[in-house]
Amino acid sequence: MSELTLLVLQLGFLLLLWVFVFAIVYALRSDLFGQRVRKLQPDAAAAAPVAASAFPSAGGSAGVATEAVSHPAAPASGPGGETASTENAARLVITSGQKAGAEFPLGRDEITIGRSSDSAIIIRDDYTSTHHARLMLWNGRWMIQDLDSTNGTFLNGSRVTVPTPIPLGATVKVGATTFELRR
Amino acid sequence: MTDQRTAGGVSTGTPPGGVRRIRVPQRLRNTELWLLLLACLINVGAIVLVQLGALGRIDTQVVLLGAGLSVLVFGLHVAMRFVARDADPLLLPVATLLNGLGIAMIYRIDIADGESGWESASVRQIVWSAIAIVAAIATILALRNHRVLFRYTYLSGLVAIVLLLLPLVPGLGKAEGGAQVWIQFGNVASFQPGEIAKIALAVFFAGYLVRNRDSLSMVGRTVLGMRFPRARDLGPLLVVWALSMAVIVFQRDLGTALLYFGLFLVMLYVATSRLSWVVLGLSLFIGGAIVASQTLDYVGNRFANWLDPFNPERFDQDFGGSYQLVQGLFGLANGGLIGTGWGQGRPDITPVPQSDYIIASLGEELGLAGIFAILALYALFVARGFRIGFAGQDDFGKLLGVGLAFVIALQVFIVVGGVTRVIPLTGLTTPFLAAGGSSLVANWIIVALLLRLSDTVRNHPRLVIDG
Repeated sequence: MSELTLLVLQLGFLLLLWVFVFAIVYALRSDLFGQRVRKLQPDAAAAAPVAASAFPSAGGSAGVATEAVSHPAAPASGPGGETASTENAARLVITSGQKAGAEFPLGRDEITIGRSSDSAIIIRDDYTSTHHARLMLWNGRWMIQDLDSTNGTFLNGSRVTVPTPIPLGATVKVGATTFELRR
Repeated sequence: MTDQRTAGGVSTGTPPGGVRRIRVPQRLRNTELWLLLLACLINVGAIVLVQLGALGRIDTQVVLLGAGLSVLVFGLHVAMRFVARDADPLLLPVATLLNGLGIAMIYRIDIADGESGWESASVRQIVWSAIAIVAAIATILALRNHRVLFRYTYLSGLVAIVLLLLPLVPGLGKAEGGAQVWIQFGNVASFQPGEIAKIALAVFFAGYLVRNRDSLSMVGRTVLGMRFPRARDLGPLLVVWALSMAVIVFQRDLGTALLYFGLFLVMLYVATSRLSWVVLGLSLFIGGAIVASQTLDYVGNRFANWLDPFNPERFDQDFGGSYQLVQGLFGLANGGLIGTGWGQGRPDITPVPQSDYIIASLGEELGLAGIFAILALYALFVARGFRIGFAGQDDFGKLLGVGLAFVIALQVFIVVGGVTRVIPLTGLTTPFLAAGGSSLVANWIIVALLLRLSDTVRNHPRLVIDG
């Protein structure tokens, strides 16, 4: 093997090494500018509060959500309904506020709500506290607990003082945002 | 529609109960697959180039052995497709490439030393890599949620101390190169329990600090604008300090002590964001190091070699001289900008070129361009680790991620800084590169833990509402 070949191979190897480094940096770029992407709302949810007409592209649920915005009293009709539990509740739907129509999947983990960036649902408005409230599972039932917030958490219009089970479809209000748990 | 889940964690119009079940294209895993293929290609290329440069022919047996390792790495990749779909796609390729470059270099030094077969360091390194990757697969399969570790905070603290003390047990411990940090299993293998101890320590620190951070950061008296902690909160700092000093004195291992103490300081700082802890800790360590350099021979020697390595008296000294340090520097200088080429330098002149001095060996054969690529890989790896810690939702996960990434960063700094004469030389393994089974196992477990953490971070749905 001549020295020249080896030199060329060596240069090729170094080049490949750096190609790898830059491939990683290229793959990283989505992460560097990714913060904005995360804040972007899904198309349907963004469209919902702006236009009253439902965007069918989001499937049936967004249509329901937009309906709820135009008739905020409607979902509160069932305060004495069955409690939301792991069996019957699958999602949390924002019914009014900036993100009306957006949905959040309910898993088995507790869901924290507040201004702080480590919350599961981050609400940045003037009425929300850093750690405002949390949804937690208690014996398989979804409970809302107010974390001593300044402006309070409201379930069907009354302030939550102790952890309270959430009826399915009842309106929970945090700051300027309301949401409910649905099947 | 599928993209929304990966982008915002918010799904629209998903059937009830099916939220987690949707088959989204595994975009992250596919990125990982391509990068892994590239990494394995470079690894095989490195071994082939070593053979061309040093032997002048290609020995397919070793190439196949290296390729066998790639199969295991892809095994880890497939395992992640099932149990950690949203894990970070960059950690695994970087670790694979570093591991492969290390194997190629160790193999190259084996050729220079005329060693082959099961006795050679490179074959042992390949076997250890296989064990390490299997350990990583086992970790990622067994540990489905990192919060489980939080339950075992104090247990892992105890495990760390026991592991650290193991080499001091008579009959089990073995001293090598002055440091008593190994345990010996018959004649088959030796293991450095301190490597595993660093993971246990990181878990312990993270758990302990999450439990006690309020009393550590809020209470205390203010001196010169900095809040100093109460004596009772100072306890753990002093215990860890005493522990690391004991490591220096009894095991004669300066690098490991520096690593443990640095790890604790950084995690303390991240948890409490109080600069006073760092000031306090650094002054404790510097004080301890100065006392050690005055009273302990081998520590004093290290300092003298660092300050005045080119003194002929030091260079010619039989034991504890600067011969190794200077040879390493000569090697780096010989490499120049693009290196001598795989298999064409003389890295084997330096003592232990395949473990402590592997970075000098790589610097000689790959040159400044190669060394910078390697350092960039480490930087990317550590940056990913910090990023995972930063994005985490729970405090324990955040601290653990930062701690594990910092362990790698500090280890690279101590080794590369020591070899390039930025700081006094202390023996520590270069993560993933250097020959040494225990270090490989520990670092691959760190990779698995970071992957698990990153999966939890991304998997945790988030919804951001800007009012």
